[in-house]
Amino acid sequence: MEHVLLIRYGEIHLKGLNRPFFENKLINNIKFAVRGMNASVKREQGRIYVSGIADEDVEEAVKKLTCVFGIHSVSPALCVDVDYNTVKETAFSLLPRDEESTFKVYSRRSDKSFPMTSEMINRELGHDILENFPNLQVDIHNPQIGVYVEIRERAYVYTEIIPGAQGMPTGTAGRAALLISGGIDSPVAGYQMAKRGLVLSAVHFFSYPYTGERARDKVVDLAKIVARYSGPIRLHLVPFTDIQMTIYEKCPSKETTVLMRRLMMKISERIAREDGALALITGEALGQVASQTLESLCVTDDAVSMPVFRPLIGFDKDDIVAIAKKIGTFETSILPYEDCCTVFVPQHPVTKPEVKKLRQSEALVDFEPMIEEAIKNTIIMEVG
Amino acid sequence: MIYLDNSATTRTLDIATQAAEKYMSDNYFNTGAAYTMAVSCEKDVNAARERLAKAMGAASADEIIFTSGGTESNNMAFFGTLLPLREKGRIIISTVEHPSVEETAKSVSELLGAKLSFAKVDSNGKVDLEYFESILDSDVTLVSVMQVNNETGAINDIASIKKLIKLKAPRALLHVDGVQGFLKVPFDVKNCDLYSISGHKFHGPKGIGALYVKKGTKFAGGQTGGGQERGLRSGTLNTPGIMGMDAAVAFYLASKEALWQNMSRCKMHLVNRLSEIPDVVINGPSPQMSAPQLLNVSFLGVRGEVLLHALEEKGICVSTGSACAAKKQGKSRVLNEMGLAKPIQESAVRFSFSPFNTVEEIDATVDVLKSLLPLLRRFTRR
Repeated sequence: MEHVLLIRYGEIHLKGLNRPFFENKLINNIKFAVRGMNASVKREQGRIYVSGIADEDVEEAVKKLTCVFGIHSVSPALCVDVDYNTVKETAFSLLPRDEESTFKVYSRRSDKSFPMTSEMINRELGHDILENFPNLQVDIHNPQIGVYVEIRERAYVYTEIIPGAQGMPTGTAGRAALLISGGIDSPVAGYQMAKRGLVLSAVHFFSYPYTGERARDKVVDLAKIVARYSGPIRLHLVPFTDIQMTIYEKCPSKETTVLMRRLMMKISERIAREDGALALITGEALGQVASQTLESLCVTDDAVSMPVFRPLIGFDKDDIVAIAKKIGTFETSILPYEDCCTVFVPQHPVTKPEVKKLRQSEALVDFEPMIEEAIKNTIIMEVG
Repeated sequence: MIYLDNSATTRTLDIATQAAEKYMSDNYFNTGAAYTMAVSCEKDVNAARERLAKAMGAASADEIIFTSGGTESNNMAFFGTLLPLREKGRIIISTVEHPSVEETAKSVSELLGAKLSFAKVDSNGKVDLEYFESILDSDVTLVSVMQVNNETGAINDIASIKKLIKLKAPRALLHVDGVQGFLKVPFDVKNCDLYSISGHKFHGPKGIGALYVKKGTKFAGGQTGGGQERGLRSGTLNTPGIMGMDAAVAFYLASKEALWQNMSRCKMHLVNRLSEIPDVVINGPSPQMSAPQLLNVSFLGVRGEVLLHALEEKGICVSTGSACAAKKQGKSRVLNEMGLAKPIQESAVRFSFSPFNTVEEIDATVDVLKSLLPLLRRFTRR
């Protein structure tokens, strides 16, 4: 008897001739996720099998695999000889002895040389379970326990189907740069886009002394959590104090936030280009704050020529919080360190800025040397 | 570096480090063991206990329990006295206590079903005696008040508090959190029933402290186990910590007045020189009246944490509020309870001195402040 993790993948099935590209990426990502666990990974008949993992590591491996994008679900299965009695005993070993519960047997016979049909296995095994487990009853519509048996070149028995992270394998969609602030939204936005197969770069702006060391560490921690799903992230920490101060002094007060956003986008676009990223990602949701009205978004988009992905654009805050909690960034996001210092936030920011006017305000100052200086002094680190 | 955050923690004295090291490398024996070397360690610990008792003004060394520090002492003071009472009663703490008192008071009162009342503070941060008297009654079982406030240096009038308790709530015990006050401000433990101290606040090592419990107090003690500390706090004695703290106590006892004067001199020099900077407010009691090591100042127009980071860049360490509250954003609970306006709260910075700070360091700090503030003040929220 051997532990095998049975992995099903979703959307890749829809791919045509380039399907092997997606499958191979996924297999590589799976190998990376369970590295150091002595696992062997092979693909067979639309499934991926991970074997060789020691009993005590199975739980940890499942946890890691449920973070890998492209996986639809994972089942920790017991792999045994193709023999009914062995299958029966294995199924028994997975069932509870004490609690009252209901069950149903689901079997599949791919190896047609096995003498029993799926239907026969269902009936026979169901019968044997009923006889041996007085605490269990059959419920074919809504069973609490599914007993799954697959007869292939070996027999696989399992009772759990654990949902995976879904999406597309990381690295199948190219690279994009995430603007990450330290709040709740941007890590979720990064997660959502990584889920579609993107590799991430990330750009964070800090304003020492208006923001402290701990605020910066918080962003690194957030990037680490996102990297559990997306794989390693190249994080860029950009000093932004001089630009913020200049905007504050030289530009109309109502427009400071949206001007700041434009300059952040410009710097991010340049960093993205250098990183080989083809798009920017932000955590904006329509109407959430003044800089996220439709007019404001038009103004920020106008600052760059790359596509800007806003995966949360139609999300309510509650929905975003729910995802943040699910992926584990929420607790870190709500740590109370200053991010983009409120000193620079106007009391009454403009909510319907015009592109033409904002271009004029921006032109009041030659930001180019400051942008170059900021990029030159950017700290780059690999996270995850 | 100029270190002006000595109320968060202090640099361990070299003699304290050496004392601690000796009990790690040479005299590392378990005080409970039977051989002579261990017995000699036990004797050293008891001599340290005697010295500490003397420093507090305790009647006997048996009144001292060594703990892991201020937080444990405060926890033990509450649980040790209230659990054996088997009655609900009422607890009073001030509104500006350290979280290790406030949170403990909340959980113990929830556990016992006891009521919890809060004694208000005046605009200086001291317990308002008139109000305190008005909430005292015979149902009160424990009062806990800090000796010196950790943000403003306000010194509570413990003797008067004790008198009021005797008069109106004779059964009540008085616990004093002396973490900021011990060895910095004259105090006699005979004015209270329980007193907490922490070694690293006066140049001893971290991870060591003590609780004074007056003889005759019904006390259940803390963790159980091998029965050390007369059964009141089990666990192998932290001899390096105890002996390191002892060295620091001895150092203070030898020249207390001179050390206070050093701190006071630095503080008053800072106060005087701050008058050269416009829009500066000193929070809490007038500087002559507060603990010598603490000064709370608002530089109006600059948020405290922004100034903190700007000073840090110039190698000067200060804090906003206390380190235990520094992670909670924005306003200080202490300054809020004192009724200070929001702009004053948001711009408050705490300077805390050690006897080793110099007037030159204060001058350098003021020079840096003078160069930073005009720029920082230009950028305020509009």
